[in-house]
Amino acid sequence: MKKSSLLSRLLSVATTLFGISIFVFLVLRVIPGDTITSSLGIETGALNQEQIESLRKYYGIDQPIIGQYFSWISSFIQGDLGFSYSTGAPVLQLTKSALLVTMELALLGTTLGVFLGISVGMFSARKPGSLRDFLGQFFGLLALAIPGFVLSTTIVTVMANKFQYFPNGNEYMSPVEDLWMNLQQMLFPSLVLGIAVAAPVMRTTRSALLETVDKDFVRTAIGKGVTAKAVRLKHILRNSLIPIVTMTGIQFGYLLGGAVIVEKIFALPGMGRQILDAINKREYATVQSSIMVFAILFVTINLITDLIYRRIDPRIK
Amino acid sequence: MKKKNLLIGALVATLIGGSLIAHPAKAASTDLVIGSVLDIDKTDPHTATNFATVRALGLVYGSLIEIGAKNAIKGGLATSWIFSKDGMQLTLNLREGVKFHDGTAFDAEDAKASLERILDTKTGAAARANIATITSITAKGRQLILKLSVPNAPILAALEGVNMAMLSKEDITAAKIGGSNKPNGTGPFKWGSWEPTQSVKLSSFADYYMGEPKIKNVTIRVIPNEASILSAMNAGSVQFGIVTDPLIAKQVGKNLKTFRVPALAYYALQFNTKVAPLNDKNVRLAIQCAINRDELIQTALLGEGKVTGPITSPAYRSDPTARPCPKQDLAKAKEYLTAAGKSSGVSFKTMVTSTGWATSVSMAQNLKAQLAKANITMELDIIEQGTYVPRWLAADFVATLANNGGRIDPDTMYTRYFTSTGNLNKVATYSSSTLDANFLKGKASGKVAVRKDAYTAISKELEDNAIWVWLATPYEYRVSVKNLRNFSALANGSLLPLRSAYLG
Repeated sequence: MKKSSLLSRLLSVATTLFGISIFVFLVLRVIPGDTITSSLGIETGALNQEQIESLRKYYGIDQPIIGQYFSWISSFIQGDLGFSYSTGAPVLQLTKSALLVTMELALLGTTLGVFLGISVGMFSARKPGSLRDFLGQFFGLLALAIPGFVLSTTIVTVMANKFQYFPNGNEYMSPVEDLWMNLQQMLFPSLVLGIAVAAPVMRTTRSALLETVDKDFVRTAIGKGVTAKAVRLKHILRNSLIPIVTMTGIQFGYLLGGAVIVEKIFALPGMGRQILDAINKREYATVQSSIMVFAILFVTINLITDLIYRRIDPRIK
Repeated sequence: MKKKNLLIGALVATLIGGSLIAHPAKAASTDLVIGSVLDIDKTDPHTATNFATVRALGLVYGSLIEIGAKNAIKGGLATSWIFSKDGMQLTLNLREGVKFHDGTAFDAEDAKASLERILDTKTGAAARANIATITSITAKGRQLILKLSVPNAPILAALEGVNMAMLSKEDITAAKIGGSNKPNGTGPFKWGSWEPTQSVKLSSFADYYMGEPKIKNVTIRVIPNEASILSAMNAGSVQFGIVTDPLIAKQVGKNLKTFRVPALAYYALQFNTKVAPLNDKNVRLAIQCAINRDELIQTALLGEGKVTGPITSPAYRSDPTARPCPKQDLAKAKEYLTAAGKSSGVSFKTMVTSTGWATSVSMAQNLKAQLAKANITMELDIIEQGTYVPRWLAADFVATLANNGGRIDPDTMYTRYFTSTGNLNKVATYSSSTLDANFLKGKASGKVAVRKDAYTAISKELEDNAIWVWLATPYEYRVSVKNLRNFSALANGSLLPLRSAYLG
């Protein structure tokens, strides 16, 4: 990548993040309610004006809105993500542990989804219009049609009721604390997410392969006597990878933020739950900082995806 | 290549198969894991309002007064009490031999400091208004003397619960309450740790005044989905579940035990009587007559509830048959509409929380369908809880479907709503001199019969004018493993009976 191209890309990343920071900050202020009403509920009605003012000061929401923004964003840039009043812990500390859970879940889900999606896509594309193609496409449609919460609830209910097995009912274990328990706790949620990722990857793989299979270089390779397997993997699949990588990048980004339901059903203390809880509690610092962390991750993944394009296809500058 | 494929296949099979076989270790019989959808949100008992926080801290802190199994007031850290003849002074005799978890003894100075902290407006205590009639507090030996501005019998019930927790004077002076400070109470369980969004860990207190609990370790695990709590119980990794959704409660199998008690909370269609068309008593009465509460309970609540009037406090419960149209009466509804000059029908908007409780939206939809039969159009304005609360507090609604908390005493339950000076009167949108007088009468007397007359009159005035339409009370559910013994569920949702429970 040229230096100027990289610089312009980084500048665009910085602008995007700045825009997101303002958007998230403003959206949170527009929705009704604040930390006090969320914390005390209808009991807020029992507070007098002096108490309300004192609590507004305590939560830092008595400052002018511009002051609040600059105070937050400058602290964020310096690595101070704020403080969660409901948990009594710094947001950085909460985010560190939650992000690891979500990253692990998203990585496992994506890996499983890509493996399944590419396998079924290749299986399907080998004989378009055949029974195997029908089965492959049926899998893709089924995986797209079944909502994650239905699949999750079904798995949890069947495994718990029929096999008395629900590892997520136990305390969450990180891979460092107990790898075996961690893998058990991650197995079903990543399977659910993997199936959701597999469907679009499968459909993208199938159409990309079918498009590539008729290209001249494929016929040339076959004519030169290259084995069928080598043609499939080295010529067809490799040249079909760009849309697959794009789709995988999008899906991975989606999993980072879209795993809320799965995290809830499988009781995983990830980022999705952290953000949802914080929105319900109107904990501005936690929501803003967590979303910014997500946004940074998302644009980084997009950047990495771009770099991978160039590796796959050196013609891309 | 085939070998490589075989190896990968074997690895995958081992992972999946192994995980199925390796069941997690079951908890020891003195350990209890409680599944809860909600996490706690603070550790200061005086400002706690979240149900999960109140439940967890209720095991750690003690209060002067407690609520017993039949909703009767009983001694907690106070063993006995006496009101002066004029009802203006309450003297509480404190229990001896009570210790805080840090080993220091509990005495009247701690009780005085705790109540003063609640009364201090800077604390932002949730239940300050309930004891605001206290004008002075004196600690004298093992006695605590409270002087009151008006005769106030219900203040005894107001001294119950986590919001009235007794704290150590030393901790109060050193401002070591809440935040990252370790809770230090006199309750049956000591604070262990809190891992936000994951769990709270407690252990039995050896010096608890009723003797060390048989359950040695309590873990309150956050499982943010009630169906998953039930699954965890079926799998054996959780022994006790807190359930609010009647649909989940109905799915509890025979391998588990369900404790089901009518809650003190109630569902009501709350009206803003200051705005049209609900400023017209006849329109409100028409709505009251058009509602079939039994149908509401059978459909939206899956049969899990009881018809109620305004007062759910067990000793003073309203008679739900004493209201205008105790059963659905569409002809009467039409009469009221005609009297209001709206014989062609009426329309009003109702604010509904989508996330406040499990059955909120289905209840609203059922009511809408019922009212349509009487030519009353109830438009639904469905919003999430965070938006609902500030609008509710500002009375920014025409009507709202509410799930309001109940109290063991009607005074603390309704004074704040229906007296002219009540802090939630703006939300209740109604007060009158007769209501004020009856609340005073109920407050002044210590005799149940006299108080009952006052609260019956209050109930009648509220229902005859259809100020709100009181609908039903839900049930409180606790689900446990079969071998949990000596536990009884309380209407106020407290888990305190776990202090004498055991697994065996």
